Amino acid sequence: MTHYYGVYSLLASLLPALGIFFIFTICDDLIFAELIKKHIPKEVVASKDYNFTIVLAQINNSVEGLIFGTPPQWVTNAAEIWISWIHKSQIITVIICISTALISGFLGYKKISGNFRSRNAVEKIVMSILAVSSVIAILTTIAIIFSVVFESIRFFALIPYDEFLFGTVWNPQFEGAERAGSGQEGLSQYGAIPLFAGTFLISIIALCVSVPVGLFSAIYLSEYATSKERAFFKPLLEILAGIPTVVYGFFAALTVAPFLRSSGSLFGLDVASESALAAGLVMGIMIIPFISSLSDDVINAVPQSLRDAGYGLGSTKNETVIKIVLPAALPGVVASIILAVSRAVGETMIVVMAAGLAANLTANPLDAVTTVTSQIVTILVGDQEFESAKTLSAFALALTLIIITLGMNFYALHVVKKYREQYE
Amino acid sequence: MNNINDLKSLELTVGDVFSKNARLKARNVNVFYGNNKAIDNVTIDIGSKEVISFIGPSGCGKSTFLRCFNRMNDTIDTCLVQGEITIDDENIYDKKIDVVPLRARIGMVFQKPNPFPKSIYDNVAYGPRIHGLSENKEHLDVIVEESLKRAGLWQEVSDRLESPGTGLSGGQQQRLCIARAIAVSPEVILMDEPCSALDPIATARIEDLIHELGNDYSIVIVTHSMQQAARVSKRTAYFHLGKLIEVGKTKEIFTRPQHHQTEAYISGKIG
Amino acid sequence: MNNKIITPFEASNKVKRSIAKRRAKDNRLKLYGRTAICLAVCFLLILFYSIFSKGYSGFFQYYVTLDINFDRERIDPKGDLSDNSLFDGEASKIVNESLFSIIQPQGRKAKKQAKKIVSSGKDVRIARMVKNDPSLFGTTTKVKFALDDDIDSFLRGYIKRETPESERRISNKVIEYIDKLNKEGRISYEFSDYILSGSASGNPEMAGIKGAFIGSMLTLSVCLLIAFPLGVATAIYLEEVAKKNKITEFIEVNINNLAAVPSVVFGIMGLAIFISIFGMPRSIPLVGGMVLALMTLPTIIISSRAAIRAVPPSVKDAAYGIGASKLQVIFHHVIPLAMPGMLTGTIIGMAQALGETAPLLMIGMVAFIVDVPNSIVDPGTVLPVQIFMWADFAERMFIQKTSAAIIVLLGFLISMNALAVYLRKKLERRW
Repeated sequence: MTHYYGVYSLLASLLPALGIFFIFTICDDLIFAELIKKHIPKEVVASKDYNFTIVLAQINNSVEGLIFGTPPQWVTNAAEIWISWIHKSQIITVIICISTALISGFLGYKKISGNFRSRNAVEKIVMSILAVSSVIAILTTIAIIFSVVFESIRFFALIPYDEFLFGTVWNPQFEGAERAGSGQEGLSQYGAIPLFAGTFLISIIALCVSVPVGLFSAIYLSEYATSKERAFFKPLLEILAGIPTVVYGFFAALTVAPFLRSSGSLFGLDVASESALAAGLVMGIMIIPFISSLSDDVINAVPQSLRDAGYGLGSTKNETVIKIVLPAALPGVVASIILAVSRAVGETMIVVMAAGLAANLTANPLDAVTTVTSQIVTILVGDQEFESAKTLSAFALALTLIIITLGMNFYALHVVKKYREQYE
Repeated sequence: MNNINDLKSLELTVGDVFSKNARLKARNVNVFYGNNKAIDNVTIDIGSKEVISFIGPSGCGKSTFLRCFNRMNDTIDTCLVQGEITIDDENIYDKKIDVVPLRARIGMVFQKPNPFPKSIYDNVAYGPRIHGLSENKEHLDVIVEESLKRAGLWQEVSDRLESPGTGLSGGQQQRLCIARAIAVSPEVILMDEPCSALDPIATARIEDLIHELGNDYSIVIVTHSMQQAARVSKRTAYFHLGKLIEVGKTKEIFTRPQHHQTEAYISGKIG
Repeated sequence: MNNKIITPFEASNKVKRSIAKRRAKDNRLKLYGRTAICLAVCFLLILFYSIFSKGYSGFFQYYVTLDINFDRERIDPKGDLSDNSLFDGEASKIVNESLFSIIQPQGRKAKKQAKKIVSSGKDVRIARMVKNDPSLFGTTTKVKFALDDDIDSFLRGYIKRETPESERRISNKVIEYIDKLNKEGRISYEFSDYILSGSASGNPEMAGIKGAFIGSMLTLSVCLLIAFPLGVATAIYLEEVAKKNKITEFIEVNINNLAAVPSVVFGIMGLAIFISIFGMPRSIPLVGGMVLALMTLPTIIISSRAAIRAVPPSVKDAAYGIGASKLQVIFHHVIPLAMPGMLTGTIIGMAQALGETAPLLMIGMVAFIVDVPNSIVDPGTVLPVQIFMWADFAERMFIQKTSAAIIVLLGFLISMNALAVYLRKKLERRW
């Protein structure tokens, strides 16, 4: 097993160097941000509307060559210093990395001798690499929570949470607009009820489409269809799940919405050009395969012996399905519907493109409504004002979204698990 | 079994396949799974109110043949049944025959107890309900009670009819399944190794039950246990590799088998 | 027979009486099932039809053929074919003159309108032609130029001649000119050379998906390079190495939760962590790929674990039996045998990433970027985001181009999924 010696020295030299490289690349900006504070003139720091985040952004823009108007001289100076630091830190990083690689490689090499168990050493290293990569999942979760919770806390410091949760008017304004004295002072309102209501309305419409279609498809495929029909239709339904949501959004906005509008006017109904109905219908189509394939799975998990018992007593297929299979599969079916709802609640592109942005508090599916996800997108895409309640509100919305979807998911998985145990 | 002479000798069934007051008649029945022939040219009668057992080594096709009598094989796509099976001189494989009333007339009990995940009462009441057998609630109660009594389960469950059927012990579950089959008032009950999943005490109870039920119903029981066949049935049919080798009175089959295959099985040479 | 239970004869009569009704009920359920499937398939067909019928024509557009006099003095005043020199040249003027010589506009206003018939990309086209083939100088050659999008829409019949002039986007005069060009046989409907090789553009007739396509490929490569090794390593760790304890259980719970987190939240995380804290630039494929990698990680882990679990223990036992170490068993036996399943899961994850839009909007890949990105740190956009942006534009022609872009995207997704199915079929082992 001689090649393990080679692998060992390679790993020994490469890993520490790579680690140091990553730490340097990630940390340099943070360090620079601390260091640059010294280079901001005292009078700027002392001034009333000083905000370090904004100043930092100004300097960063200047570093990247994005210059809007003429920045003050001190910004340009700071940017120059920053650039010189970048050059220096690059050189330092390279030197440190190479020397670490050489030193650790040498140490590793020295360790190798006749009675050194290199296979075990390599094994240990590789195992720890595997372990570290599995931690990424935890890190991602932490990152998600971290990024959402902190900003949300800041939002709730500005806006009381009961106003956010129970307020019925959603009308975020940029603070700049307020300060500019456009007569809109204090008009900002962050009552998220219209967003929840819109999300709820669209999800309900989507369920009205997808539950009957998905459930009956699943029943047909698992109980009535011949194996040929099954082999043909099942993948066909799953295509629906593979279509990108932006395509559904396009379809909703440019085909379904105009169709609803024109057919609505035929009956004398006034359908908004961006209606909850169009978004909900298309979202319903999108989640059909979730319901059908998940229900199909749980229906198939009902043991054949129960069906046999039913048929042996002279049940028709209908009676077997309705009176035996479905009641037995009910928890699983409910769970699959809940999972589909959580899909619908978190779905973004369809509602952004087809449901509109008007925060109407309405139960009329022909009106335009807005949802939690579409507000997040509208607020966070494009120019943001740092620290404004409007920007922060997106994070609070995201937090609610995560809590809702994860709650539903937890519950559904719990139900499915219990249900599986019942038949194992 | 690689002896060619042996294979030839299997062509004819030994013993009396016919019965005087036959309820079910199978004539030249062949069953195919795709290209495999599972049952080869079987002819047999099953008499009224008689208990007959099908025995034979595993894979001999006895269960497959049993499932032909209430067309349970229909649920398997690749399965094809040829020949004629009649109940009261009506061919059950006739296109005009609906399987639903047929299966109501010919009940079935399966190898593994398979109560529905419902209450004990609902398990027994399921059949009468779907077939619309009861006039009213009181009548349904009577049917359920009587069925449970006949299945010898009433004393054990009369105070907890609303508790789930899946909560009973294995033997009780199997008796519940028998009660469920009886509740539909069938003429024939098919039993597919009804005791194979049960312990000896539960098995003994079921065997007693089968013995009693033989007074009212025709019962066909598939079993891999010769002792069981000897205990419960008056007639026995021995199957081997899809063929019906020998039929006769149980006593005679076990004491004086006519066919050397049967003899080999009885004496434990084939298993 | 005990009479408390109805006799078999009575029972059989009752069953017979109820049977017709029950059969009807049965057929009704079957019909509902069929209807549901047909509905779902109809939705699919309508979706595809509406996109293909619009998108098919998005690959084509109207061109006008003009005789261009390649005068080097005027096109390339410095004579060195440099970008500067070509920029200073009068290519547009030459095109306009050639156009005017056919349609003869009278007066300044008419000329101004006439100029707009040919797409504003005319000078770029001439510059590219002479760069590719300097021998064109001195000749007079027929060159095809894209028509302006309004003219294109008019020729396609979306802008109607009958509409009163005041409500039409093009004037009567322009229609007259187009008729004149048409009569001379100079207008042709051809496969668009912009849709596949052009980049984002405010002029719909010049807009193409090349930039977005390359952006997608760069983003996807980053995503693949991160997600595949990480996913496979995690799956191996959880299935083969880790002991079943609280920590691994916690990791599993995390993975399942991540699979349920809405994609837009991953975008928010990318914005807050990668861009705000790590200070990475916005709109670059590197960040996009990282976000998508974290998003697809659960898919890859879950399918890889299933693939590893499907490797029969007998194979592993055999290898352990001859003294192989855990690592050797994993790398020599488990991974090769589980590879098809892992690859299938990865391809499905990549298809998911290729179609994803919302998280990329969050990290600024929605910016209007004309240049084709050359590396993973150049600002760029991706196909689905391009589709999203185009769908928002008002110009009629963008609808066709959007649909065409969707066709390209769907084409890729379908071939990726087909590849996954093929791989699964081809490499499937039966134990």
